[in-house]
Amino acid sequence: MSSAPLAAKSLLVVTGKGGVGKSVIAAALARVLADAGRRVLVLESDPRESQHVLLGCEPSGGGVVTAAPGLFVQNVDPYAAIEERVREQVKVAALSRRICRSEAFRTFVAGAPGLSDVAVLGHALRLVAGAARGAPRVDTVILDAPATGHGVSLLEAPALVADVVGGGPFGELARDVAEYVADEERAALVAVTTAEEMPVDELLELCAALRAGVGRPPALVAVNALYPPWPGDDAPPGPHAELWRRRRAVNDRELARVRRARPGVIAELPLLALARGPALVAALAEALRPHAGGGREGRD
Amino acid sequence: MPLDVARHPLVVVVGSGGVGKTTLAAALGTLSAADGHDTLVMTFDPSHRLKDALGVGDAARDAVARVPLAAAGRLDASLLDAKSTFDRLVARYAPDEESRRRILENRYYDRLAGRLSGVLEYMAVERLFEVTRSGGYARVVLDTPPTRQALDFLEAPERITGFIESEGVRIATRDWFDASGRLKAATRLGAVGRGIEAWLDRIVGLDFLREMAEFFQAFGPLYDGFRERAHEVRRLLRDEGTLFVLVAGPGEEATADTLYFARRLLEAGHRLGPVIVNRVHPQSGGRGRAREEQPPGAALLHWLGERDARGVTDLRRLLAGRPLATLPLLAAEPSGCDELAALGRLLRSRLTAL
Repeated sequence: MSSAPLAAKSLLVVTGKGGVGKSVIAAALARVLADAGRRVLVLESDPRESQHVLLGCEPSGGGVVTAAPGLFVQNVDPYAAIEERVREQVKVAALSRRICRSEAFRTFVAGAPGLSDVAVLGHALRLVAGAARGAPRVDTVILDAPATGHGVSLLEAPALVADVVGGGPFGELARDVAEYVADEERAALVAVTTAEEMPVDELLELCAALRAGVGRPPALVAVNALYPPWPGDDAPPGPHAELWRRRRAVNDRELARVRRARPGVIAELPLLALARGPALVAALAEALRPHAGGGREGRD
Repeated sequence: MPLDVARHPLVVVVGSGGVGKTTLAAALGTLSAADGHDTLVMTFDPSHRLKDALGVGDAARDAVARVPLAAAGRLDASLLDAKSTFDRLVARYAPDEESRRRILENRYYDRLAGRLSGVLEYMAVERLFEVTRSGGYARVVLDTPPTRQALDFLEAPERITGFIESEGVRIATRDWFDASGRLKAATRLGAVGRGIEAWLDRIVGLDFLREMAEFFQAFGPLYDGFRERAHEVRRLLRDEGTLFVLVAGPGEEATADTLYFARRLLEAGHRLGPVIVNRVHPQSGGRGRAREEQPPGAALLHWLGERDARGVTDLRRLLAGRPLATLPLLAAEPSGCDELAALGRLLRSRLTAL
């Protein structure tokens, strides 16, 4: 079974547990694709945005900002994305404002399960289709997905909402999103982990859930922050050497578990002596580049 | 010792995702048990090996398991399962069989109850209420859920009461739909009503509204209980006996996160105890070979050691006198009871030194 390489997809959803470097990898992937001539937008949905720090641009504050030629950043508020849908349906601006500001509507949005996830993914689809208001045309949207306890729930939300809700615009939206995410020609999941026990536990759960749900593992697993390989007999003596050796041994053990899960492509990325910022993103982009072009899908 | 069971029967461990909260909560539990106090550790997201060590594997979800630890006090552990806590809640508090059935058969509840955003946090609140009410422990150590905004948990009581008391729920829980599934108001209003109905259908979808209204209505009889217990937990989280231990990642980049947490906790009126900077790389000293001559691992560790030291210095200054303890990066995460107890002892020595 072959499919388009990662660089040719239009939606990349980057998931990972908190603290594994998910946002940094999303930014680095955006750099790789932008360098290859794709027009890329990194979409995040977090009250405390971080992509501007990584890509060296102004904070989005909700709008689309340009980080480099062909490279854009947006931090979208799920509520704003839902409001936009209502505005389109109602057409009369004053009326849609009244609806959206009413407490009843706010309660509905806050209480409707999965609706925020669906709205953010729906906004990503719009951007890809060039149908989002005030946004530039892009080839690829990279969604820096919220670090929920389990990345699975974001991907399950559309199918669940579609199933429960049935008709109506939100039901249709959920169905469209579910269909898009399931289409391996257009969308791919990138899972970020460190080679440590808990993040790998979660990655394996994600892989299993994805195989059961959409029938394929993540297209790319980025194993981040690996200690350098232990040089064996050439290693310097001392307590720090011992820490290095043993941390790398944990990395090797966990890498082996990742390989056994047989995801699509595994990118092994080094822990680097660089602070979180554009220089780190550039260095990780170099390390990611060989893995992002020729998407070899996992064979089951 | 800043953790005094007489003064702190409830210890809440908070911090960003991935900083090691769960492991430290377990280590604090071993410490408490070693001091002779019967202790419960409530966890949300332990690794598989930590689950095994604590005896809270998937089979024991939501049950309280005895941790096989040789200590003066008893150490129990429990792993929260949102859906089964929710089910138990419904079973216990629904006033009659009809209400119970109506909730359990609601499609939203069935498919989504364990996954709704906010449900995990709210169920943790309910579970905390159950546990503290049972009174079987001298101390409860509470790990916090792995959510995006890790402080959401603390606001869950406010959110649930705000939600229940909101205009939106009052509207949603009215009888909007008649027996044939038509909007009552629309039927009454004739042609205009049909226009409104079509319009509502276009905006959000009547099916969706029907499901939502049904969902909120089904819970109607339970709202008073939700509200009461949420108030109780809100009070408990601000009680003098509740101490918050803030766990932080190492390095300068984590400083902003840590300060954000500290500020939010203090603003919300919680008692902030020690800040623990976890997994700090050791400093390798300035002497020795030039960096470019060192093997890559040694050079990297040197850089990390310096980075983390700067981070700790910054944080100490910015926390202005608040107690701060550091824990070194361990060669491997503790996964057995002995290793947890050893980490607990290390933590004790660091806290005592404050």
